[in-house]
Amino acid sequence: MSSSNPTLVFMSSDGVEITVDRDVAERSLLIKNMLEDLGETGEAIPIPNVNEAVLKKVIEWCAHHKNDPASTGDDDDSRRKTTDIDEWDQKFMQVDQEMLFEIILAANYLDIKGLLDVGCKTVANMIKGKSPEEIRKTFNIQNDFTPEEEDQIRRENEWAEE
Amino acid sequence: MVLSLNGLPEEILHTILCYCHPCSAAALERTARQFRHVTNQPVLWRFYCRYHFTYWDARHDMPQKLVNPISDVDWKGLYVSRYLIDRGISHLLDSILRGQTGRIDKFRAVISYGYDAKDTIIRNLSPDPATDDHLARRYYAKALLTCLHRSIAVPEWARLRNGEAVALERALGAFDLFIPESGYGSLNEITDKLDEVTEQLFSCSPEIHECTPRDKAKTIAEYLRSNNLTGIETDRQYHCLEHNFLGIALKDPQHNSLPLVSAAIYCYVARKLGLNAWPCGFPFHVHVIVKPQSGFDIDGNVLGFGMQGNPIYMDPFRSDEETPIMNLQNQLNYLGASTTEQLTFLGESQTSETVLRCSKNILNSVQRMPQFSDGQLTPVDVVSAKYAALWSAMLLSDISRPAEFRHRLPWLMELFATEFPSDIYLIEEYMVPLFRGMLEYEHILESLHVMRAVDEIPKQMKRRSSDPYSVRYRIGQVFRHRRYDYVAIISGWDTECDAGEQWMRRMGIDRLQGGRHQSFYHVLVEDGTVRYVAEENVELIAPHVSELPQTLIAIAGKHFKRWDGVNRSFVSNIRDEYPDD
Repeated sequence: MSSSNPTLVFMSSDGVEITVDRDVAERSLLIKNMLEDLGETGEAIPIPNVNEAVLKKVIEWCAHHKNDPASTGDDDDSRRKTTDIDEWDQKFMQVDQEMLFEIILAANYLDIKGLLDVGCKTVANMIKGKSPEEIRKTFNIQNDFTPEEEDQIRRENEWAEE
Repeated sequence: MVLSLNGLPEEILHTILCYCHPCSAAALERTARQFRHVTNQPVLWRFYCRYHFTYWDARHDMPQKLVNPISDVDWKGLYVSRYLIDRGISHLLDSILRGQTGRIDKFRAVISYGYDAKDTIIRNLSPDPATDDHLARRYYAKALLTCLHRSIAVPEWARLRNGEAVALERALGAFDLFIPESGYGSLNEITDKLDEVTEQLFSCSPEIHECTPRDKAKTIAEYLRSNNLTGIETDRQYHCLEHNFLGIALKDPQHNSLPLVSAAIYCYVARKLGLNAWPCGFPFHVHVIVKPQSGFDIDGNVLGFGMQGNPIYMDPFRSDEETPIMNLQNQLNYLGASTTEQLTFLGESQTSETVLRCSKNILNSVQRMPQFSDGQLTPVDVVSAKYAALWSAMLLSDISRPAEFRHRLPWLMELFATEFPSDIYLIEEYMVPLFRGMLEYEHILESLHVMRAVDEIPKQMKRRSSDPYSVRYRIGQVFRHRRYDYVAIISGWDTECDAGEQWMRRMGIDRLQGGRHQSFYHVLVEDGTVRYVAEENVELIAPHVSELPQTLIAIAGKHFKRWDGVNRSFVSNIRDEYPDD
């Protein structure tokens, strides 16, 4: 192991150890801050909530994006722009829905802003232009409104229908 | 349970919704109970309001809404009302583009939304070139935008006329709103620029608040002049049209401005810094008069209660120093001004007088334009500048001197009818009442009535006869005039000359080879004018789009949807009138 490319070890929620380059791991602000605060202990870092399959996907994303400019932390939400996703990310996100949501939750937990955004954009694109019924179908959502409630909400949102 | 959308925490759902169109948030709300909360968060709808709309009409008081507690505002309701306005305006614009009938009222309906209309208009200003009617869309969006800006400017002058207080920088800024190239869309943008200047001066000389009025006046002149904010560079033509506009002077890196505009900049900054400074009505060259506070002299010495100290005069256009009153008086004596006249010339100018002076300067600049042979192209649209000057001059002229007033009316009416017909309701609301009781009143009403009638009645269809040679050329074809050499687009035809007898005589139509009994064409010329041309003078050219003059493409939208690269002609948008072309 060369000193120019130090590595860390993650322990997934299902107990699997995965070795990661440190610069890749630091795409996660949670890990980066932890390393800055505690220093390297040499022990495996437990990542609760994230299983091996998901963790591997997350690491794959971080490895591909390890040279991206760091997020500016500019969270001014009025300036959030397009839902365009670059080609690699689009391919990367072609996974089943459960994996997609697991990745989003993991990105949120590990504080990987870029990945969280790509995940949210992917879901937004799945909602785009759909009627309520189509959205229910896409995400397997149970309609739990009474007919009266449903009618009332429909009227409240009539403006959104062309 | 399988993880799905409903398994995500609300903060993530919120992020997802921020990437969705608000209509999708409404659709998601309707799917199940658990999404009702996150899709109705005020913070989400506040985001939608800010992200989807940039310009808000003053009635919303948006800056205040944004600093108030978020729960004070029904953000969803606000978004929905803007969304519906946006949709309404889009429909109106589509309808304006679809047919020539009833455009006046549709324009009026768009403008009546005030500044709320601006986002929709701007979106249509640069349509996708693949859009079927992109030339027409761009043309009418621009017409709507400039009309909207003028409908903000004209009421400022009308208020001034009614004797209401209007700040000088707003009254002068109204000229900029007439000029599309100024880049200004509201008067606040100009005030903001002036505030920036004031803040920069203050940060350079924070001690200025402790200065005496005399030293303050000098410090301000020094600062403005050393930063080039007043005056004109030596290599520039004094009378250049753009030197007349406050907003343009503030935005331009060289900040060239006539003495009047320089004085207005100086006065704004000086008043912000506590001086009592006003433009002074000195002939030929606007100065600034600075008066000490009552009870003190200009050096801050106590004079005694209620006593008024002597003012000083500044000339920020060309000097850091005050101008001794003796110099000014000598000049006035030389001009033969009486004592009472001297008092007026050395006193402060009313805002309406300053505006009137500015409009005279503009007309003067327009008149001198042909003299500038050094190729300095003005970045200001001359027609719009002239139109602004005429509006302000008409609104602020002394009604007791109707001669001047009357003399300008035909100018204004002609410009309005040919270049700015969308302003008809501005003319009706602000110009017509000025002439009540005068000879012209009925004439104006009559001509407006005719304009409306022409607009409201569907165009009479002109079908081609079976004889293919009766009218040889078609709507949208581009030609060069055989005698005058200009390039133009055919926008209408008659099977023979349809102009009045007088016109035909004046133009010598019967001396043409084909005389009056040949086809005649209405044409849009590259210089923006509309002319009437005999068929024998039309020499078709089949240009490539890159060979077309830009000015021609810009005005083509008036009657055409787009350029057809295969047939090398424009595609008609007046098929309600010429269905076979």
